Amino acid sequence: MKYIATVKDREYTIEIDPDRGILIDDVPQEIDFQRLGQSGFLSLLMNHRSVSAVVEEKNDHWDVLIQGELYNVQVQDERVYRLERMRSTGATVDGQAIVTSPMPGIIVAVPVAVGDIVKRGDKVVVLESMKMENELRAPCDGVITHVNVTAGANVEKDQELVGISQEVAEAS
Amino acid sequence: MLREDGLLVKKFDKLLIANRGEIALRILRAAHELGISTVAVFSDADRNAPHVRYADEAYHIGPPAARDSYLVIEKLLDVAKRSGAEAIHPGYGFLAERAGFAQACADAGIVFVGPPARAIEIMGDKLMARATVTAAGVPVVPGTPIGQSDEEMTAAAIQMGFPVLVKAAAGGGGKGMRPVHRVEDLPDAFAAARRESKAAFGDDTVYLEKLITEARHIEIQLLADSHGNTIYLGERECSLQRRHQKLIEEAPSFVVDADLRRRMGEVAVAAARSVNYVNSGTIEFLLDRDKNFYFLEMNTRLQVEHPVTELVTGVDIVQEQLRIARGRRLRLRQEDIQIKGWAIECRINAEDPYNNYMPSTGTITAAHLPAGPGVRVDSGVYVGNEITPYYDSMISKLICYGETRGEAVLRMRRALEEYRIMGVKTNIPFHQHMMDSHRFLSGQFDTNFVEERFSMDDREIDRAMEAALLATLAAHEQSQRAAQIVAPGARDTSNWKWLSRWERLRR
Repeated sequence: MKYIATVKDREYTIEIDPDRGILIDDVPQEIDFQRLGQSGFLSLLMNHRSVSAVVEEKNDHWDVLIQGELYNVQVQDERVYRLERMRSTGATVDGQAIVTSPMPGIIVAVPVAVGDIVKRGDKVVVLESMKMENELRAPCDGVITHVNVTAGANVEKDQELVGISQEVAEAS
Repeated sequence: MLREDGLLVKKFDKLLIANRGEIALRILRAAHELGISTVAVFSDADRNAPHVRYADEAYHIGPPAARDSYLVIEKLLDVAKRSGAEAIHPGYGFLAERAGFAQACADAGIVFVGPPARAIEIMGDKLMARATVTAAGVPVVPGTPIGQSDEEMTAAAIQMGFPVLVKAAAGGGGKGMRPVHRVEDLPDAFAAARRESKAAFGDDTVYLEKLITEARHIEIQLLADSHGNTIYLGERECSLQRRHQKLIEEAPSFVVDADLRRRMGEVAVAAARSVNYVNSGTIEFLLDRDKNFYFLEMNTRLQVEHPVTELVTGVDIVQEQLRIARGRRLRLRQEDIQIKGWAIECRINAEDPYNNYMPSTGTITAAHLPAGPGVRVDSGVYVGNEITPYYDSMISKLICYGETRGEAVLRMRRALEEYRIMGVKTNIPFHQHMMDSHRFLSGQFDTNFVEERFSMDDREIDRAMEAALLATLAAHEQSQRAAQIVAPGARDTSNWKWLSRWERLRR
């Protein structure tokens, strides 16, 4: 079985083969892998190097905690990986980015309006949660296509707040 | 005994803790050690919290929002009455610095583990505090009195020299505060500070202070009994802050020597005496490059960062608080206080250091605390703990002790690596990065360091391959198991055989 695991921008091809053992990017590795009880605590001995981690599955990725750092890992088997590759090279990318609320809270300000041109990193929404004001920023360059909230509104986690179109920005 | 200043001091055997989280646990521990029985209170969100399980008794006080539970004075006094608690410890935050609460306790015949209401009131009002301590000979940052016109303040700014800080009289937590570097920027700063202050505090009075640049935040821990004895327990270095929230504290400070410690300590004692202070308190100072120090404010309560002082002095500050509230004399004299070794505290917050320190909510799914020599964890975190937007994002404190600063830092690095919290993002990587930072190691930082000269971007993450492998093995394990559950007949191997094949893989 061949998997492609993606961490940040790095991809690793990991092969789990009953006969050949475990290979990372075609290099065989000596692996001992144990789960501690039913928990997410895992122990890995990789060429005798001991790595202790907590691993949990999220909706679309795996969270791996090693020595204080949380790694977001996408694991796809080879077939799914290829399919996604094919799809993403097609011209069907809609070029739409949505800024969503990362947590429940109250909208303090929305410093953008429909039609505004924004750069990646520009402040688009200020959200108050846990007694702190948090700035939500544009994930890409583009034009504001819709604004769903106003100052004072209560929002839930993952609620869509602001839409940004990338294509219009390129055209203008 | 009800003192003239309204402070009720008497022996008590049952204590109500009007707080939650790690600090409630800290107080419960001290009370149990002294043989005092304990009463906890909890909101709907905290039924399963450790403080509820740890206390002798616990009472529900309403919905999760603090204004409907932990901040409702009547509910707390009612629980005290129903449970027979004779004293209340407010912890920090919530009602700890509300003079009205201290007064209400005294009026109800309940010991408030803290200072007299009047001391809270004076120190809680920045201008009154400034005037009071100035009269006692305590140096304050040069500034304008309240009630000056914009023209008068502008003239004063030119005279004291830029940069200056426009501050809201009613302000706090950085709100209504603006640094100004040029005279032409003053009108806008006045307007903005007024607007912010009006919105946040319903008052638009502003005044000016000289902005001390490259300043360190150094504070002195005090203990005062009800018999007029006041001592200082050395300083804490709290310069590593972000948006006026402290992140890392240490004791002693890299820049404070024995002479400066004594001078700051004596001034702090004078400031406390100026309001007839009783119990644990802290005087916060700004220390400039030339080692001049200026009174900033007094925190009339137990501080989050008290453990670093406990570790280097050997004094249990919370136990002392309880003894003082029971009317006992301080057992320690000033000459008994010796600073030994070095302690560092990292505040573990549920926030993402890689995404502008955005608070992170969720349910704790795994928690493994560091341990071993020189490591102390004051934590309220538990598996199943839902981190909600209702309360502060600080979920735990990790405190490490060493004979020297270097040893404390090495311990902290080791302990941060051991700490595992899953379910929310934490600022542990921030602390790790700081412990590796050259500026931190050499003690070269001021209160602007974190915000202006520290970045997570240059942190190198080197366990990506292991992470990829672990996630893949976990995914593989799961898919194999799923395949067997869905279609057991379709496979010619039993679970046991599959397991043994898995075992073979690991060879």
